[in-house]
Amino acid sequence: MKNPFELFGLEPNFLLNEPELSQKLRNMLQAVHPDRFASGSDQEQLAAMQKTTQINDAYGILKSPVRRAQALLQLKTGVDGTGEVTVKDPMFLMQQLELREELEILSDKKDMNGLLAFAEEIESMEKKQIANINDFFQQEDENHALDSDKILTEIYKLQFLRKTLIDIEAAEEKILG
Amino acid sequence: MALLQIAEPGQSTKPHEHKYAAGIDLGTTNSLIATVRSGVAETLADLEGNHLLPSIVHYAKDGTVSVGNSAKLFQCSDPENTVSSVKRLMGRGLADVQAIKEFSANQLTASGSGMPAVQIFEDIKNPVEISAEILKVLAQRAENALGIQEGDELGGVVITVPAYFDDAQRQATKDAAQIAGLNVLRLINEPTAAAVAYGLDTGNEGIHAIYDLGGGTFDISILRLEKGVYEVLATGGDSALGGDDFDRIIAGLLVEKANVEHDDRQAYQMAMLKAREVKESLTDNESVDVQFMHWEGQISREQINELMSPIIDKTLLACRRTIKDAGLKPADIKEIVMVGGSTRVPLVQEKVGQYFKQEPLTSIDPDRVVAIGAAIQADILIGNKSNDQLLLLDVLPLSLGVETMGGLVEKIIPRNTPIPIARAQEFTTFKDGQTAMAIHVIQGERELVDDCRSLARFELRGIPPMVAGAARIKVTYQVDADGLLNVFAVETTSGVQAEIQVKPSYGLTDSQVTEMLKSSIDKAEEDMQLRMLREEQVEASRVVEAVRAALEDNGQALLSEEEFDAIESAVQQLEIIAQGTDIEAIKSAIKMVDANSQEFASRRMEASIAKALVGNEIDEI
Repeated sequence: MKNPFELFGLEPNFLLNEPELSQKLRNMLQAVHPDRFASGSDQEQLAAMQKTTQINDAYGILKSPVRRAQALLQLKTGVDGTGEVTVKDPMFLMQQLELREELEILSDKKDMNGLLAFAEEIESMEKKQIANINDFFQQEDENHALDSDKILTEIYKLQFLRKTLIDIEAAEEKILG
Repeated sequence: MALLQIAEPGQSTKPHEHKYAAGIDLGTTNSLIATVRSGVAETLADLEGNHLLPSIVHYAKDGTVSVGNSAKLFQCSDPENTVSSVKRLMGRGLADVQAIKEFSANQLTASGSGMPAVQIFEDIKNPVEISAEILKVLAQRAENALGIQEGDELGGVVITVPAYFDDAQRQATKDAAQIAGLNVLRLINEPTAAAVAYGLDTGNEGIHAIYDLGGGTFDISILRLEKGVYEVLATGGDSALGGDDFDRIIAGLLVEKANVEHDDRQAYQMAMLKAREVKESLTDNESVDVQFMHWEGQISREQINELMSPIIDKTLLACRRTIKDAGLKPADIKEIVMVGGSTRVPLVQEKVGQYFKQEPLTSIDPDRVVAIGAAIQADILIGNKSNDQLLLLDVLPLSLGVETMGGLVEKIIPRNTPIPIARAQEFTTFKDGQTAMAIHVIQGERELVDDCRSLARFELRGIPPMVAGAARIKVTYQVDADGLLNVFAVETTSGVQAEIQVKPSYGLTDSQVTEMLKSSIDKAEEDMQLRMLREEQVEASRVVEAVRAALEDNGQALLSEEEFDAIESAVQQLEIIAQGTDIEAIKSAIKMVDANSQEFASRRMEASIAKALVGNEIDEI
């Protein structure tokens, strides 16, 4: 089966042109979505569903920076990044604790504005981390080899920020009832 | 022997036929059917000119079934045998619905399907059967209006469901259609249908929010319309919140004013009817004089606004969550479309307008907009508009998961994932020689199984016996374009397909549906055997037509001469056999064509994708 980049006719690259990606999604689904075969034969309906499933799945991977980075790492180095990752970076571990603590305090105080500001802070950290990961992938061209352990750690950091954002939203929901 | 008809190359084998398709809005309070005629989508009226069919079914002692306004007449005189708001029972468990006051305690009972059933004299009727009665009346209405001859039928229907409906509720809706003898082209979400109805009018690109407050459900969907593609970005809502709650809260006020006994069911029914009158009249008036039983007095809009306000606030909370899920902010919403009769309530429009900081769109009758959108989609799906590029991309409304140790839910597919989608999971055996295992599939967002909806228990059998932990069972959860779940399992080291037995938690098994289909057909009127034969012949001609069209389209390009001939001869074989009366032979001839054209179908998909990507690159230059 084709990898997600190949399926969308894209070069395997971490940087992504989002409008181009969604345009390709639309064009492909116009051609193979099950609705196009609603009065077709059972085989066609089945094939359309399977193909659309593949496209939707690949789109989900490409759209999410974490999953895209994992897929690209797998493609370039054969390392599966979806399993457990041990992070030894003490600075990051410290920061992780601090962020969790801040979230806990804000939710205990039911501080809605504080949570919103906190979410913005994490979002900008997330943006920086995405740029950071891109830099690591770019290094391949200069050094000809990717440091997969290093990239795994960076992906883990991004994943942590995403998880924190989800938890902030859950805390907001809880306050609103 | 009949002569084969051979068309000139490049000519289609049949002149273009207009096929009849309809869109059905199967609502909690009212149902509608619409169709596209001469390019215009419109709802269809009954002989008296009514478009709305009240979703009420009455069963008389002599077995007569009445639906709609004629059933409504029995609501006060024979409440025990009159069923309204049956949609609220679809795909739910008895415990879920016992709190709903429309159904008195003695009216609802347990049934074999896990769903509650309604006691009608000595008989019980399940919600699927009751809904099928409504669908039959609507289909009949369409056949009359379209002048479809006796024996011929609607080619297919699109039925709308609340976006927030879970798998069991969707499956129940599809089963009802099957029992009513309808061919379901697709289940689509009500808000998506409404967007289609509006979008075609305005051709408006951008992000739209659809606020759909019906009788019994509330839905909010965020859609992006771009170049004819409607992409649902997120959907949310509450499948147990609706305009009926307004009526109930007003009825509560009336009952309190009139000092009615708590268990006076008839008085309660009357209060509900009166409450609806009061609500509707307060849409245009600031206050209204009310007489209910021994009580006479005035009710003001302000008074009921205060009562309704918390219900509307709940809907706005769901809006907030859904906009966030879509990764957007309220300011990104270009237009807000109002759907559902309950959005006529002035306070709803006012509060929604305030929240989105803009005037909501109400130009299409909110009662009819869903059916109209469904009709447009049905017309496209049946193939009447082959060049139309409108495409709906929908999402899974609620996360799918499986039960793990300690009654916890492990999410498999998160909500708002575009469908169709599939995910695979690998399991292993726990004991030596284990040949079976059970999977409990759950739908919902909470962490505990008990807080989510139980969809079904799948039992896998036929796993080859191995030592514990050696078997690798890959379970695939496939959600199709209707939002319905299918589960497949295979033992990967041996390639053995495990047999799956599905026990829906709140639904009918396939054989129960077939049983009901059989019993719903009046045997004096029509012979079952004949009906099955006709259905199989229709299916055969559909297959022949579809495969021929595909062969003509790109069979030469994608198949070797040998492959082409194999498919063509299977099709010819099917054509001959379909003229006979052997149902089993027709079935196996269809299977033969399917088997021969499987590879062709997937090559066609690949070719379409290649073409779509090339087209894209040209666009960019």
